[in-house]
Amino acid sequence: MLNQRDKKLTLVSLVLLALVLFSLNQFLPGYYLRIINLIGINIILVASLNLTNGFTGVFSLGHAGFMAVGAYTSALLTVPIAQKASLLPDLPLWLMNIQLPFAVALLAAGIMAAICAVIIGFPVLRLRGHYLAVATLGFLVIIKVLLTNLDDFTRGARGISGLPGITNSWWVYGTMVITLYVLWRFLHSSYGRGIMALRDDDVAAQALGVNITNHKLMSFCIGAFFAGVGGALWGDLITVISPNFFSFNQTFLLVEMSVIGGMGSLTGAVVGASLMTILPELLRNLEGGISLMGVTLPPLYGLSQLILAVLVILVLIFRPQGIMGRWEFSWKHFKKHNKEEI
Amino acid sequence: MSIAKLTFLTVKIVFVHDHREDFSCCESVWLTLHKKREELKLMKRKVLSITMLLILSLVFTGCGNQSNDSAQNSSDTIKVGALFNQTGDQASLDVPGLNGFQMAADEINANGGVLGKEIEVIAIDGKTDQNVCANGASKMVDVDKVMAICGLADSNYALAAGSIAQKANVLFLTSGATLPELPDQVGDYFFLVPFGDNIQAYAGAEFVASDLSAKTAYMLTDKGMDYTMTLAKFFKERFNEINGADSILLEDSYQTADVDFSAQIERLKGLKVQPDVLYVASDPSKCGVIVKQMRDRGITQPIIGGDGYDTPLLTELGGEGANHDVYFTTHASLENPSEKVQNFVSTYKETYGHEAENAFAALGYDGMYLIADAITRADSADSAAVRDALLVTEGFDGVTGKISYTDGNRVPNKSVTILTVEDGTFKFVKEVLPE
Repeated sequence: MLNQRDKKLTLVSLVLLALVLFSLNQFLPGYYLRIINLIGINIILVASLNLTNGFTGVFSLGHAGFMAVGAYTSALLTVPIAQKASLLPDLPLWLMNIQLPFAVALLAAGIMAAICAVIIGFPVLRLRGHYLAVATLGFLVIIKVLLTNLDDFTRGARGISGLPGITNSWWVYGTMVITLYVLWRFLHSSYGRGIMALRDDDVAAQALGVNITNHKLMSFCIGAFFAGVGGALWGDLITVISPNFFSFNQTFLLVEMSVIGGMGSLTGAVVGASLMTILPELLRNLEGGISLMGVTLPPLYGLSQLILAVLVILVLIFRPQGIMGRWEFSWKHFKKHNKEEI
Repeated sequence: MSIAKLTFLTVKIVFVHDHREDFSCCESVWLTLHKKREELKLMKRKVLSITMLLILSLVFTGCGNQSNDSAQNSSDTIKVGALFNQTGDQASLDVPGLNGFQMAADEINANGGVLGKEIEVIAIDGKTDQNVCANGASKMVDVDKVMAICGLADSNYALAAGSIAQKANVLFLTSGATLPELPDQVGDYFFLVPFGDNIQAYAGAEFVASDLSAKTAYMLTDKGMDYTMTLAKFFKERFNEINGADSILLEDSYQTADVDFSAQIERLKGLKVQPDVLYVASDPSKCGVIVKQMRDRGITQPIIGGDGYDTPLLTELGGEGANHDVYFTTHASLENPSEKVQNFVSTYKETYGHEAENAFAALGYDGMYLIADAITRADSADSAAVRDALLVTEGFDGVTGKISYTDGNRVPNKSVTILTVEDGTFKFVKEVLPE
């Protein structure tokens, strides 16, 4: 689908991204790198959410549930064996004695999340609209209760700590590029066209030979797969996971990013995730009480949430389709403007 | 064409879209207008890119300035991070915590600081969000270069933030998390200011056995919470040691979301031999409800619980029932007549205009003084030296009791306060130091 010029441009920009990441890793203190990594992880999560919510029209609120499945799977596979013995003495032996490379654990995390998606997708995807949203929310609750009560595997509410913390810019942005590439290819395949068709008019799509259940299930699974991978990276970045972390708030945060960026566009996912990761961090500087030109403001905790909420409302009023809407980034926009002949 | 029509068309063509056919009469006007439109488009693009550049540069200079500031200041102040959840579910515990912490820092500075340097508190709101807590800790460590962080009353958030401080070898004192195994989970720079749950459960068991001369007990535990499970486990352990293996007559449980406890109460009433005391391990939101339902159903034995009861909710929800034989173990009594405590109470009222909300204010206050004390003894603000000094703290006289870290243990060995309820207010019963 890409012509020679576009391929070259893509390669060049990938190399540039790598160079930028390399130099940032050299010069920036850990805090900024952490934010940069978080942006990458959020892009993975929001892009996968956009696939189900925006492109397929299956409004899922269970994304944090898939993240949780991924995070716990990879945690169980990567925590060092000695530590496992003290943290989780009741693990079955086969799980106790394995420690896998991070890449394999990420893959396993994605696959586990996808399996969960198939299991709940079969009954749930027959629902529509609000019913579907509530049913996926139910999935999130089930996952939380399971994690809290499966003491042998998850340590219940105490959570698993001491994840190895392998996540760095290379893992995050490598995975992000792969995620975006896979989603992009999927959306431009006949399946992708199919899911967009059934989003806009499912009866017409069915008449054209699109198998609704198959298509929905496939996009739901792919979305869940990358949510699992993103969740695994996220857990490893924080190095502690507990059922509380995968709450409705987490889902809502992702939905917010996706709505602000534009639900029907991968570019929107990138924009929304970057914006909503950076903004709260910047606004935090206002909270601690600042002095500007001689005027000292007292600390106002909660200010950043207020500002963000107002921003979200403004975006929803003036640009309900999100900043990017359904607009996608493409090298074609950078073609030299041919002088239009008049 | 009239001038009016031309203006109208100009506006239309520049801002809306082109209607070449409207200009069929004069092609040249359309051409110029079209050019204008293209120019305007280009300008829009330029303006947009310049704004983006401006925003970006602002962001980066903003970041740059901050790090410069911190580099300049680092020599004449000692920076201490205060990471408390000022908003969200945890705010009722952490807002008083930060108040107490800040108050202690102000007091120390008013008395000349530590090692001749002022203490600078870098406060960040954790927003009851693990990501924000972790980012906040990372910012304190990397950007603000603090030598110690204090805060967070919940073990999950303390774990997330503590492991970041641990990686950078920065001291982390949790002001309220009471899980005794936390320091081992995080590492050697992680300390508890409060006692561990084991200590307060032991104290509870010893209190009912000696002061209420209880020989048998009944236990009710919230199954969905680590805090309550730990309390129940250690209460049972100590009570069995004192009164023998059969002294717990019934162990019952409920789920965090339950609001109706009639089934549990019926089971309790059905016991052939009625227990002497009831140990009810519950969180702040449920203790009042359970106490009320039990008293309403005619259960009169003493009820005892942990520091989760140290909340106004106990009397608000418990009503009249809470006034009859309800005891709990907690960190401090603000009624304690000792000078240290009374000073704290009056200063707090002066500074914030109301009484201290609960013991977590006192814990935040003690956290700051513990750090200051260790800095003085280490004669250095270096995190490693201060940690070594903190490890050998002995008999530190705090608002929440005498604090010692013994045998390299980073959970303090400290006294537990036992309170009861009289006429809707908490009354001091005694202070015990369990073995």
